[in-house]
Amino acid sequence: MDRAPETAASAPARTGALRHIVSSYRSEIAIALAIVVLELALGIFVPNALTMGNFSDIAQATAPLIIMAIGVLLVVMTGGIDLSVGSVFSLVGMVTGLVMDSGFSSTIATICGLVVGVVFGAINGFLVTFVGLAPFVVTLITYAVAGSLAFIVTNGHSLPINDQGYWLLNGGHIIPGMPNFVLFCIILLIVVEFLLRRVVFGRWIYAVGSSPGAARLLGIPVHLVRFSVYVISGLLAAFASVLTVSYISNAEGTAGAAMMLQAIAAVVIGGASLFGGTGSAIGALLGALMITVIQNGVNLIGVNSFWQGSVTGLVILIAVLIDRVSKARR
Amino acid sequence: MDPTSSGQDSSEGATAFLLNARGITKSFGVTRVLRGMDFAVAAGEVHAFLGGNGAGKSTLLKIVAGILDADGGTLRYKGFDVDDAAGRMARDQSLAVVHQELAVIPHLSIAENIALPRYRHGSSLFNRAAAQRAAVDALSLIDKDFAAQSTDRLVATLSLHERQMMEIARALHSGAEILLLDEPTTNLTGQEAERLFTVLRRLVADARIGVVFVSHRMQEIRQVADVCTIIRDGQSAVHRQPVQSLSDAEIIDMMGQSIAAHDALAAAPAPSGAPSLDLRVSAEALSISGLGPEVAVGPGQILGLAGAPAGPQALIDQLIGEKRRAGIEIIHGGRPRIDRTPHEAVTRGVGFVSGDRANRGILSTLPIIDNMVASRRIAERRRLVRADEAREAAGLLAALRIKARSVWDLPSTLSGGTQQKLIIARWLNLRPQMLVLEEPTRGVDVGTKRDIYTLIRAMAEAGTTIVWWSTEQTELLELCDRILAFAPDGRATALLDRASLDEEALAAATGLAA
Repeated sequence: MDRAPETAASAPARTGALRHIVSSYRSEIAIALAIVVLELALGIFVPNALTMGNFSDIAQATAPLIIMAIGVLLVVMTGGIDLSVGSVFSLVGMVTGLVMDSGFSSTIATICGLVVGVVFGAINGFLVTFVGLAPFVVTLITYAVAGSLAFIVTNGHSLPINDQGYWLLNGGHIIPGMPNFVLFCIILLIVVEFLLRRVVFGRWIYAVGSSPGAARLLGIPVHLVRFSVYVISGLLAAFASVLTVSYISNAEGTAGAAMMLQAIAAVVIGGASLFGGTGSAIGALLGALMITVIQNGVNLIGVNSFWQGSVTGLVILIAVLIDRVSKARR
Repeated sequence: MDPTSSGQDSSEGATAFLLNARGITKSFGVTRVLRGMDFAVAAGEVHAFLGGNGAGKSTLLKIVAGILDADGGTLRYKGFDVDDAAGRMARDQSLAVVHQELAVIPHLSIAENIALPRYRHGSSLFNRAAAQRAAVDALSLIDKDFAAQSTDRLVATLSLHERQMMEIARALHSGAEILLLDEPTTNLTGQEAERLFTVLRRLVADARIGVVFVSHRMQEIRQVADVCTIIRDGQSAVHRQPVQSLSDAEIIDMMGQSIAAHDALAAAPAPSGAPSLDLRVSAEALSISGLGPEVAVGPGQILGLAGAPAGPQALIDQLIGEKRRAGIEIIHGGRPRIDRTPHEAVTRGVGFVSGDRANRGILSTLPIIDNMVASRRIAERRRLVRADEAREAAGLLAALRIKARSVWDLPSTLSGGTQQKLIIARWLNLRPQMLVLEEPTRGVDVGTKRDIYTLIRAMAEAGTTIVWWSTEQTELLELCDRILAFAPDGRATALLDRASLDEEALAAATGLAA
């Protein structure tokens, strides 16, 4: 049915496209610049910092965090939180290791690991969406449960991976010249960024986080959106875990202990609001990169690594304050 | 345009109605809100849906919009029963709603807000260019100037008024066959309301859509509606009657409320117990300078603020200690009055009733009693004296004829209009020197309006100086001693005295239609 008068001006000029991209990624560009400045400053004190070797170390260290942070980002954008990702990361590693240890192929083990992540995501999503419990409480529960299961499955022992070819999942080269972990991050970034910007489901995520009540009145399937993001978050935490297992050839019950807070920090540094409605995949990626660059810097300078947390905290504070000032000015 | 015929010849054939609700019942716990309500909308009519607060109007609208499920009765869209998939599909495809609590997504752009609800599948690609075109088309239906601005602006940056316009534009442009407009003119100026009515008329005449129009403004109802249904105590008191065949008095009477604004004021000491409360205040003269006209208000006088939000808002913000604006100077009792925070203003005798009841008025998680004594505790730095307070709150409820089961219930158990009385009542026993009101009668029915007018007048008579912003000019003209009029850009344009108060003067000064 078309009864609108044809008075519409033609679509806004194409010349505005670049400006639109720049303005909608303003905070991401700022973080990227901050990371570059940080690296350059580090290079003055530590010559080793600006070498391909060190960059490669940073990329390897940050890849799992990026993957996990992008999952957490989607949850945070709907106004929720996922505290369970670190524990799920640990549990998935143990399950994957255990299945392989029991003689199954690495493919089956990997799939089992991913299924565990999806199951925990689905439990989170179900309790938040259909039972109506607070996301913080629900994921605090699954955080505790997954964390303890990670020790129970092997009675607390770590598991070495004996499959000689398993490292290829992480370190192989599907595309020549680019290690798989980099490829996975790039694919994930593009897919999620496209989802958020150009696919209706992505716009629904913004809408649900921005105003759940209005989203419901507009006929947006709020329950489906909420449930889905927790499942995706669980799946990505699991994927981050199997990549790590593949890299270090070892599964440990404490592997993900520090990662939950780092992932949330990455999302916040990346410009997402914990109240929902804002954020981008690029931001989460850069946030994760920022955290890893800081850790790397602290290590290279030779400061006691106990300082890492304090420095990271300070950077989060600065990032959030800058974001606030730039928003107030707009 | 034939206002009545379409409704007449199809009134018996149930399938001819776009929307047909029969014998709808709905209870919340033990409270029966709808007891067999009938409601039907035909193609090509504007149908006024009227009813007082608590009559069940919002509940029926929510059922029609698919937000609530009915307990009993039948509900058909274009002849399809909503219990079947076909009926729900007919509803989803043919109904567009302008909700009273605006359904807008602050973090998305205007274009996205307008286009996003059209997508049914999350897997579709979102076409930004098409969304912008749709937004421009939709907005030009109602406001060409608005449509000429960028549709990439975030809705968070829009004023309440612009959000309302956007939501209406979205509904008008949705291609829906049934439009459900719940008090759509609340945040509009007179001219904009006129434009809305023109578009509605055209859509009704050309596209034969059906419009459900909810409003408390009798003038609008006369202007735009063909037929009306009146709900009273959960049933249809009047079902599909031509509006022209009923007088204002009959309509109001059937809504279960006996008095309009004019009469409310004429009616000598109100039946409500305001006089039984001791409201006496020894207030001091207030003067405001720096706005343009010099304003002086004596104790017990009512100063009206008229016009679009910009100007009144700035003055109110300063009066209540929210935000200081350069240039406005307030002299109270001969001394400059500077309150740096709302807390300071309250402790120094300023009361404030916000127009944003949900966010800045009601304390939704606290019981009625806390809502009633909240300000008093702060103003008098009191510790909790529950027994005292319970007695006081119960007294206030009785005096104001607020029907609540207990002062320990949550305010959400009360209707919107009653909640409004509650937040005004907060200030009664406090006897503030000055009471600042933002649209205290917005969205409440005539009966509650009457009670609020009585309260305001009682407080003024007891000596409190009232500063009252309203977009409803008739009530200002009736009640105010003096009206400060603001132009849409925020400038104060005129100070009208009792002697010079009339609709034309006010309309000229505010740039809004009367």
